[in-house]
Amino acid sequence: MTEPQELVEKLLTELPGWLPAQRWFAGKDRPVGSVRPLRTTVLLEEPRLLHVVVEVEQADRVEAYQLLVTDRDESYEATGDGELTGHLLDLMAQGREIDGLSFEHEPDAELTDGLRGRPITSEQSNTSIIFGSQYILKLFRKLSYGPNPDLVLHRALRGVGCEHIAQPLGSITGELNGEQVTIGMLQQFLPDAVDGWAMATTSVRDLMADSEALHADQAGGDFAAEANRLGQAVATVHADLERALGQQDADDDDIAATVRAMGSRLDRVAEMVPALGPFVPALREAFDKALDGRSTIVVQNIHGDLHLGQVLRTVNGWLLIDFEGEPAAPAAERAALKSPLRDVAGMLRSFDYAAHQMLVGQDEDPLLTERALEWARRNRAAFCEGYADAAAEAVGDPRRHGELLRAFELDKAVYEVAYEYANRPEWLTVPLSSIARITGEGA
Amino acid sequence: MQEDSRPDAALGLEGVPHTGEAITADGLLVEPQAEDFQHAKQAPKNPDWFKGAVFYEVLVRAFTDSNGDGTGDLRGLASRLDYLEWLGIDCLWLPPFYASPLRDGGYDISDFRAVLPEFGNIEDFVYLLDEAHRRGIRVITDLVLNHTSDAHPWFQQSRMDPDGPYGDYYVWSDDDSRYADARIIFVDTETSNWTYDPVRGQFYWHRFFSHQPDLNFENNDVQEAMLDTLRFWLDLGIDGFRLDAVPYLFEEEGTNCENLPRTHDFLKRCRKVVDDEYPGRILLAEANQWPSDVVEYFGDPEVGGDECHMAFHFPLMPRIFMAVRRESRFPISEILAQTPEIPTGTQWGIFLRNHDELTLEMVTDEERDYMYTEYAKDPRMKANIGIRRRLAPLLENDRNQQELFTAMLLSLPGSPVLYYGDEIGMGDNIWLGDRDAVRTPMQWTPDRNAGFSSCDPGRIYLPVIMDPIHGYQALNVEAQLNNASSLLNWTRRMIEVRKQHHALAEGTFIDLGGSNPSVLAYKRRWTRPDGHEDIVLCVNNLSRFPQPVELDLSEHRGTTPVELTGGVHFPQVGELPYLLTLPGHGFYWFQLATVGDDGESR
Ligand SMILES: Nc1ncnc2c1ncn2[C@@H]1O[C@H](COP(=O)(O)OP(=O)(O)OP(=O)(O)O)[C@@H](O)[C@H]1O
Repeated sequence: MTEPQELVEKLLTELPGWLPAQRWFAGKDRPVGSVRPLRTTVLLEEPRLLHVVVEVEQADRVEAYQLLVTDRDESYEATGDGELTGHLLDLMAQGREIDGLSFEHEPDAELTDGLRGRPITSEQSNTSIIFGSQYILKLFRKLSYGPNPDLVLHRALRGVGCEHIAQPLGSITGELNGEQVTIGMLQQFLPDAVDGWAMATTSVRDLMADSEALHADQAGGDFAAEANRLGQAVATVHADLERALGQQDADDDDIAATVRAMGSRLDRVAEMVPALGPFVPALREAFDKALDGRSTIVVQNIHGDLHLGQVLRTVNGWLLIDFEGEPAAPAAERAALKSPLRDVAGMLRSFDYAAHQMLVGQDEDPLLTERALEWARRNRAAFCEGYADAAAEAVGDPRRHGELLRAFELDKAVYEVAYEYANRPEWLTVPLSSIARITGEGA
Repeated sequence: MQEDSRPDAALGLEGVPHTGEAITADGLLVEPQAEDFQHAKQAPKNPDWFKGAVFYEVLVRAFTDSNGDGTGDLRGLASRLDYLEWLGIDCLWLPPFYASPLRDGGYDISDFRAVLPEFGNIEDFVYLLDEAHRRGIRVITDLVLNHTSDAHPWFQQSRMDPDGPYGDYYVWSDDDSRYADARIIFVDTETSNWTYDPVRGQFYWHRFFSHQPDLNFENNDVQEAMLDTLRFWLDLGIDGFRLDAVPYLFEEEGTNCENLPRTHDFLKRCRKVVDDEYPGRILLAEANQWPSDVVEYFGDPEVGGDECHMAFHFPLMPRIFMAVRRESRFPISEILAQTPEIPTGTQWGIFLRNHDELTLEMVTDEERDYMYTEYAKDPRMKANIGIRRRLAPLLENDRNQQELFTAMLLSLPGSPVLYYGDEIGMGDNIWLGDRDAVRTPMQWTPDRNAGFSSCDPGRIYLPVIMDPIHGYQALNVEAQLNNASSLLNWTRRMIEVRKQHHALAEGTFIDLGGSNPSVLAYKRRWTRPDGHEDIVLCVNNLSRFPQPVELDLSEHRGTTPVELTGGVHFPQVGELPYLLTLPGHGFYWFQLATVGDDGESR
C-alpha cells in the first residue's frame, strides 16, 4: 500500500490531463497550468480515503478544487465507491472533527449512519451522493472562501420552517489559507422528486404531438395548474427568506447601478454576437424605462439562479434547490441583496425555453411555433398568478412592476445570448426570438 | 281497511311473501322471516378472503334474461357463473335487486325482504347463492341503510299514522329550515333536502331524491329494524353488504350532517352483529369522501377495525384518469401519499368504473374542469357531478390504455372491483337517460339481443349497443373467448397472475418515484407467514410516448427481476440505478426475489 503522500504526488502528475475531462471542472475554457496541493486529510486508513484540496492555476485564474481520493480504484476517484462515501455520512452523524475538517449534523437532526452512498447520474457542476433513499450530500467541487450561500440560505429557511426546500441536515466545512470554506452540505433526499424541466417538457411534448389543432388549455398535459402552484412556492420561499433575513428598500443609486450593469452586459454581448445588434436600441430603451418608471422596490436574499431545473416536484408540492446563486458571478455579487423579481424573471425565461426546446434545430413550422408561444404565454401567466396569490405585500403581483420585470427578463436573455453563442449556437434563436418578441410588445 | 290504502298496495308483490302482507293488532307490519326459506350452503371459511379477492359488479337486470321477458334476472345470472369462475372472479357485488318502484335504479327500496318480481324471488336468490358458493364465488349485495322508497310500507304507515309504531321512522319537521348546512347531492334534480308531504302535513328529510325519505336513526326501533334486515339476508347465506350512502345516517344541527359520530356508533353495532353472529361476512362502506374521512369507517385501528371491513377509495379513481391524461404520476402518487394507513383487518376497494357516473366529487374545482374537458367533450356525457361513460369509450377504445388501466387496477393497493362488460371493452350509449348509458345488456354473442335475452328486441329493458365500434355483432364474449389475444383473455390472464402474487393483494405499497414524471413505479411488499418476502415491482408508463426510467433498486442489488406474465429474466440489479424502457402506455410487473437481511446497509 502506498503512503498518502506518495498517492498525492502520483495524482498531481496526472491531474492536468484528468481535470478537464471532469464534468464539474469549471475551467474547461483554457489550458490547465499548474496544480498544487493545498491540503490533504486522511479520512480512512484502510481502505484508504483521502480528502485532497488542490489549487489549479489557469492563466490569470487560480481556483481551489476538492477531490476524494482512494487507491482502491485506478481512477483514484472515490465518489463512486459506495462504501467509502458512506464513511462521510458516518462522520457527520458522529459530529467528528478530523485534522481541521469538521463534519457536523444540524443541531436538532439525528442522522442514520451505515448507509452506502451512490453518486447521482444527472449532469451537474458539483458531485452529489445519495445515501439510502434519505440523504443527499452535495460536495462543492470548486471551493470558494467565506460563507456559502447555499448552506446559509438553507439554514435560514429551515429556521423559519420553510416547507418548500429540501431540509439541510449536515455540513462539512474546513479552513483554507486562514479562511472558512464549505466542502459539503447534506440534505434530505426526496426520492419521488422530478425536476421542473422534466415536468414542463412532458407537457410541451404532449401539446406538440397532438394532431388536432388544440389549444394549450385543452391539451391533456396542460401544465398551468402546476405552474400556478410553482408560482406560489417561489413566492412563499421569497417571503420566508425575507422573514428570516430581512429586506431593504433599494435606493435610487442601487437601481441606477443595477441598470448600468445591464447596460454594460449588453455592450459586451453585442460586441461579441452580431445577431444581437438590431435589438440593441430597443433593449437600451427598455432598461432606461425600468429606471424612469420604477415604483419603489425592495431587495432581499433571493435564489439568484432560478429556473425550471432548480425546482423539484414532489408529492408534497414544489421545492426549490441549489441556492448558490448565479454560478459565473463572483462571490460578493452572489451574496448581494437582489429584487425577488429577478427570480421571477428567471422562471419566465425558463418557461420560454421549455416551450421552444423541441423546435431547436428543426425546420420552421408555424403551427408548432404558435403552440410553443401559446404554451409559454399560458404558463407564464399561471406562474405569475400563483406568485401573486402567495407573495408578500411589498412584492405583490410581479406584473405590477411590468417595466422592471421586463428589464430583468431581457437582461437574462442577453446573458443567454452570450451563453448560447459560446456553447450551443443552434439554441441562439431561443433568446433572440424572445428578445424580439418582448421588445416588440413593449414598444 | 280499503284495499288500495293498504301500506303494501304499491309493491306489486301479491302472491309472494312481503312486508305488510298483514298487520298485527297493535299496528305492526308482518314481515317475511329467513326461516320461511331454504338457506344456501356457506362459502369456505376464510376470514380474510376479502383482502385478496377480485370483485365483479354485475347488475342483475343487465346480465342474462332466463325467462324471455326482456329483463335480466337471478336465474339468468346463475347460468353465467361458469363464465365468472373462468374469469377468476372471487366475489360478485349485486346492486339492489329488492322490491322497488325503480325510480333510482333499485336504490329506492320498497321492501327490504322481497326480491323485485322481474328478477325472481327469494328462492331464486338462494339458488344463485348456492351455485356461486359451489364455485367458490361469494356474493355481496347493496343495502341502503339511509333511506327507503316512499312506497315502503313503513313510510306509508308513517305518513298516515304519526302516532302509530312507524310514526317516528322518518325525519319529519314542521318547516324546511333545519340542517341548512347539509349540501344537496343530486343537484341536477333536487332543490332542497326537505319535501312537504300533504298526507301528514309535514316536511320530511331526504339526502337524495325526494321519493327517498331518510330513515330516522335516532329512533332505536329503526336501528333494530335495520339490524334485523341484515340478519334476514345473512341467514339466507349472503357474504356481506355494500352499505350504500353510509355517511348520512344521522343529522345534527350546525354540521354538514356527514360522518357524524353517531353514524359511526351505529355502524359499530352492525359490525358487532356480523362478528358475533356471522363471522367471515363483510361490510363494505360506500362513503364518497376524502381518504382521511373514509378511514373512519374502518373503525378503531387498535382492534384491527370495528366498523366496515372494506371501503371504496373514491378519490383514487378520477386521479388515475387524470394522471394518464397529464402523463404525470403525481395525481396518483399524491392521493396515495395522503391516504392514511388502514387497520390490519381491513382493505380498500378500488375501481375504475361502476354503475354510477365517474364521480368527481372528491376532486378540486380545477381538477373537475380538467376532467370534464378531457373526458366529457360532449355535455351529454356529464351527469350530476361526474361523467357517465364506460371505460373503453373513456379511453377512446385504445387497447393499450385499457390494459394499462386494468394493470393499475389489479396492482394498486386495494381489492379490485371490475364492472361487468369492461372485461370485453363494452361501450356506452349516451343517448339513454341518466346513468342508463352504462347499464346496457351484457354482450354475450353476435346473435339476436347479443345473446342476453330471447325476447322480441322491442321488449328489452334497454337497447343493446349497436354502434359500429362497440356493437354486439363484433364485440361480445363469444368472439373474445375464441381469440387468444382478446381483451377478455388478457384480463383473465392478468387476474390469474395477480392471484399468484399475494403481494399484489396485501403487500405494502412503496412509491418508487424516479426522475421521469410520466412513469409510475411502485413496489408491493408482502411478508409471507413463513417469513419470506414476496416483492412485486410495477412500472407503468402513463405517457403515450415510449419512456426510459431509472429506478432506485439499490435495496435489491444482486436480484434478477422476473417479468410476471412471461417469466422472462431481466438483467440483474447492480450498483447503478436500474434502467428500463417502456413503450407508450406500457407497463411491467416483476417479481423481485427475496432480499437479504442487510437490505440497503453495507
Ligand atoms: N433533495 C433532493 N432530493 C432529490 N433530488 C435532488 C435533491 N437535491 C438535488 N437533487 C437532484 O440533483 C440534481 C443536482 O442538484 P443541484 O442542482 O443541487 O446540484 P448542482 O451541482 O449545483 O447542479 P447544477 O450543476 O445544475 O447547478 C438536481 O437537478 C436534482 O435532480
